This record gives sequence, C-alpha cells and structure tokens, in this order.
Amino acid sequence: MTMTVPRPMVAPTRTPADLVRPDEGIISREIFRDPAIYDQELQRIFTRTWLYIGHDSQLRKPGDYITNVMGEDPVIATRGSDGQVRVLLNSCRHRGMTVCSSDQGNAKFFRCPYHGWTYSSEGPLVGVPRSADAYRNELDKTRLGLVEVPRVETYKGFIFANWDADAIPLIDYLGRDQLWYLDIPIEGALGGLEVLGPTMKYVIPANWKLAAENFAGDDYHVLYTHGSAFQIGFLPDYDILADYIAYFDHGHGMGDIPKPGRGLANDLMMAEHFGPEAVDYVKAYNQRIADRLSLEQAAVHGLGEGNVFPNLSWIKFGCFHVFGLYQWHPKGPGELEVWQTTFYDTGAPQHVKDYARSQMSQENAAAGIFGQDDGENFEKITESARGAVSRTLDFNYTMGMGHEGEIDEPTLPGRIGPHYSEQNHRNFYRYWRQLMTEDRA
Amino acid sequence: MTSQLVDLQREAELFLYREAKLLDNNRFDEWLELFTEDARYWMPITESREVAQERDPVAGEWALIEEDKRFLLKRNERLKTGLAHSEQPRSRTRRFVTNIVAAEKADGTVGVESNLLVFQSRRGNSEQFFVGCRKDRLVRAECDWKIAERVILLDHRVLPRAISIYL
Repeated sequence: MTMTVPRPMVAPTRTPADLVRPDEGIISREIFRDPAIYDQELQRIFTRTWLYIGHDSQLRKPGDYITNVMGEDPVIATRGSDGQVRVLLNSCRHRGMTVCSSDQGNAKFFRCPYHGWTYSSEGPLVGVPRSADAYRNELDKTRLGLVEVPRVETYKGFIFANWDADAIPLIDYLGRDQLWYLDIPIEGALGGLEVLGPTMKYVIPANWKLAAENFAGDDYHVLYTHGSAFQIGFLPDYDILADYIAYFDHGHGMGDIPKPGRGLANDLMMAEHFGPEAVDYVKAYNQRIADRLSLEQAAVHGLGEGNVFPNLSWIKFGCFHVFGLYQWHPKGPGELEVWQTTFYDTGAPQHVKDYARSQMSQENAAAGIFGQDDGENFEKITESARGAVSRTLDFNYTMGMGHEGEIDEPTLPGRIGPHYSEQNHRNFYRYWRQLMTEDRA
Repeated sequence: MTSQLVDLQREAELFLYREAKLLDNNRFDEWLELFTEDARYWMPITESREVAQERDPVAGEWALIEEDKRFLLKRNERLKTGLAHSEQPRSRTRRFVTNIVAAEKADGTVGVESNLLVFQSRRGNSEQFFVGCRKDRLVRAECDWKIAERVILLDHRVLPRAISIYL
C-alpha cells in the first residue's frame, strides 16, 4: 500500500516545538537538516550544557594542555601554575587566529602566529609586539586575555566546562541516578582510569544527534546493524549480554544494562579463557565496587553504553573492555567529527589491558566492525532528510510508548525500560526541545 | 647497486603490486594468505604536536588498528555474511603503492617501506583518499614472500571516513 505524502509547499515555518513531539513519538526530519535549527542548537544547547573537555591524567603538570571543541568553538584546557584547570577559547583577541594548533603538550604561553600577541597559559595577554609604536601604549591588555569559559568542574577526574555562568553544578547536571551507574567503571578500576594514548578522530557525514541518540540506548539496532558481529562469533547472543536501558533527567540515557548478577557472571566466564590472574582481577574489581560503592552496584558490575547530553557518549561493558568516550562534535547540520578517547584501568593485568585495547579498536572505533556500520546508518539517515518531500516526513520513535515504567527492578535507579524501547530517545528529545524552546534571558 | 640488491628491490615491488591488485579486486582470502600465521598489523593514531614535542607512535597505546591474522580472518568472514553494511555493496578501491625501498635486515627478513595512496568510492557519491606510508617486514616462505609485520602510518589527523577497507 502506498501512502500519500503531504504536497511540498512553501513550508509554514515550523518551530522546534512543532517539529519535535517526543510524547507522540514524532521527530521531524527537519531537525537533522535545517541550518537555522543547527545554528540555534549551537547557541541554545552547546553554550548552556556541560561539555566534556578532558581528563586529569592528560593535565598532570602546570603548563600541560589539551585542545578540544565546545560546539564549534575551539578551546584549550590548561593546568595553571596554581594547579587550577582553565578552559580558554582558542582564538586570538586581536583577529581571531587559533593560538594553539596542537593536540596536547606543555606550554608556558600561547603565541598567535599572525602578529605575535602572546598569552600566558593561564589566559592573560602578556605580550603585544611593538606595543609602543603600534598602539602608542594605549592598548588595555588587561581586558584582552583569552576568553575563559566561566564554569569548569571536574567529576572524579573528568573535566567538563559550561559557557553558562548560571548553570547548575556539574554533579547535579549529571545527576545522582546517572552517576550511580557511571561510578561503577570509575570506582571499579583497581589502579584508577588513565587516558591511553592519542584521541582518535574521524568524520561521519551525519547530523550529530543521530550518533548521540544511538548511544543513549538504541539497543534495538544492535541485532541487525551489528548482525555480522554475531554471525562471526565476535559476540555471544545479544540477550545474554544485557537486559535493560535507563534514562535520566537532562536528556541522559544508557543502554545494555545487565540484570543484577549477569554482568559479573559474564565477566567471570570471559576470565576463564584468560586464566587465574584474570579471574582474580575480575573478583577484585567487583569487590572494590562493593567496598567503595554498594552491593547493588557490584551486582550490576558491567555496563554497556550511554550518552551524556548533548554529545558525549561512552562505552564500557565489563572488565575486558576499555572505557571509551566519544565526542560527536557538530560540524554543520550534515557532518560530525568523532573524537574518541580511551581509558584503561592502570591496575589491570597487562594481558587484560592488551586484549581490551585491541578489542575496542576492532569493535567501536574508526576501523572497528561496529563503528563503520553505525557510521553508514547515520550518514544515509542524514541524506534522507534533504529532499523537499522527505524532509516533511517524520521519524518514528514510538517503540515502548504507553509501556514505560513497567519494569520492576527496585535496586536500579533512573527510568528503567526493556532492552528494546525508544523511551531513551524520547527523553533525549524532550530535553532538546526544552532547551530549544525555553525563554531565557 | 649490486645485482643482488636490484633483485631484492624488484621482488619487493612486484610483491606489493600483486598484493595491491588482490585488494583492488576484492580477493581478500588470497590477500590474507600473503600474511604469516603470526603476522602483526598495526596502524597507530597520527598526532599533531609542536615540533619540539613530537614523538613516535607508542606500542601499547590506543591505535586505529592493532590485530593479528586471527582477527583479519574474522574481518574476511564478516565481509561474506552479507551483513557487513559498510561494505555492502563493496567499495570500489584503487591502490597506488610507490617510493618502494627494500633492505635486507640483519635477522634475514626484508624491511620494505612504501608510500600508499588509496582511492575509495562508496555507493554513489561518497569518495575519499587515504594517504600514508607502510613499513612492512617480509619473510621468505617456501616459494614466495609473506608479510610478518605491517605498520601503517597515515598522514591524516582526522580520517575522512571510518575505515571499512584494507589499507
């Protein structure tokens, strides 16, 4: 049967509130294409939410810096001589040139390549060449330091920044319920988590939201998109791995949460292949979660993946996976740049580290057998929003509507849903809609 | 150059051309037979750093690819499932292998460095190049050479696309 599509017409301007109606399971394709909406996202989402910048283990000494991006604004995170981490806009106050072009390093100052304006690594403008001749000493250097992001906060080593001076604290934004889960890999790590080498970067010609909502809990796609991984025996049956998804305030969501008990059992099964040292490691990791957190968290043990709104996704699973972070940096409505950073437990046995590291590059990474298939989905979906007819159509996010809250797992916080549901996507877009429509000064 | 060196150089060139042709023609099983059973395949992440703070890739750090023949076999198996969506339909690829320099090592293996330019055309209009160099270590097998180690250093800081083809 064919369906009648609305005749393309001079479109009445539809607002984000019309285009995104999560409670009806309706998301218009327009929000994955429209440059005006994209521009609003940069202003309303990427300047008002907490964005991931880096990890303490990348900024150990005074002068250590890393570069990152907030929305489309490039930033430098540096540790000052006072030990404090600052996040500075990577743009000269004179004519905007990038003052730091490296991934990371150590610097006492940043000098603009254009005219040589020089900033201390804490931000203030400390040098202007030929200041007396060129500016007759009339330039007020005190007002021309690198622009500093007003809010920088850290959760257990993970550094976030926010352009909104009035934002709620990071810990409240992430929320106690979400952190209940995220604490498991962070606290379970016997030696603590450490960044393992450079950040992997690659382009997906797709709208950033498609990747973010996928990690927020699209467990449903795993069965078919990643069907090849099951066929070749790279993974056991999917329903053995995990059972639930969960969402939280502020649009955050996670997937592949195992029923209490299952995570540890899966890891011990894996450990058997590796020998007694690995078995001991899994047990010690689990015991540490029980000691430092709770027995309920130890019972969860291993988590799948999730998305911290707006564009920070993560993946973990059990002890035999590294902890991976993905930033889906927006580059216009039709392109994103993936920045993937990987962490390992410094206390894990070497052979577990080696396995976990290569396993991640084989799985969810630029050359991984999961990453490349996901990328094609996001790319083709973005293309599907371009046509004059196509863009008038809505996407369907109705899975599990009318059945939220039916799962009874009293020890698990957050809004728990079954493995296959779009409740988390609706939650993501509910918060997106709120930020895109709310009246704020 | 002695004639022995010329022979070695010529043999290495022909080996790499033949290898490239197998890949361009999607003959992945035959391609994989060119690797030793204990082959190592490593593609570290390229960094962008200040000149004075540059460093070589570090083994044991997070890499684009770090695997052995066992997983390369799995990749081939995956391509045959009909569910490898990122290569369904197959990309059209063309490899240009140049600047080949072969040198005998003290342990009897042959080190071969070469430049690599790969053109990939996906579906209708998705096209990109991957550019880098390879550092291979070849060993003599019964009647042919085999690749015991392949290190690929890409020049891209930001890859133009996820890697769904062999480089």
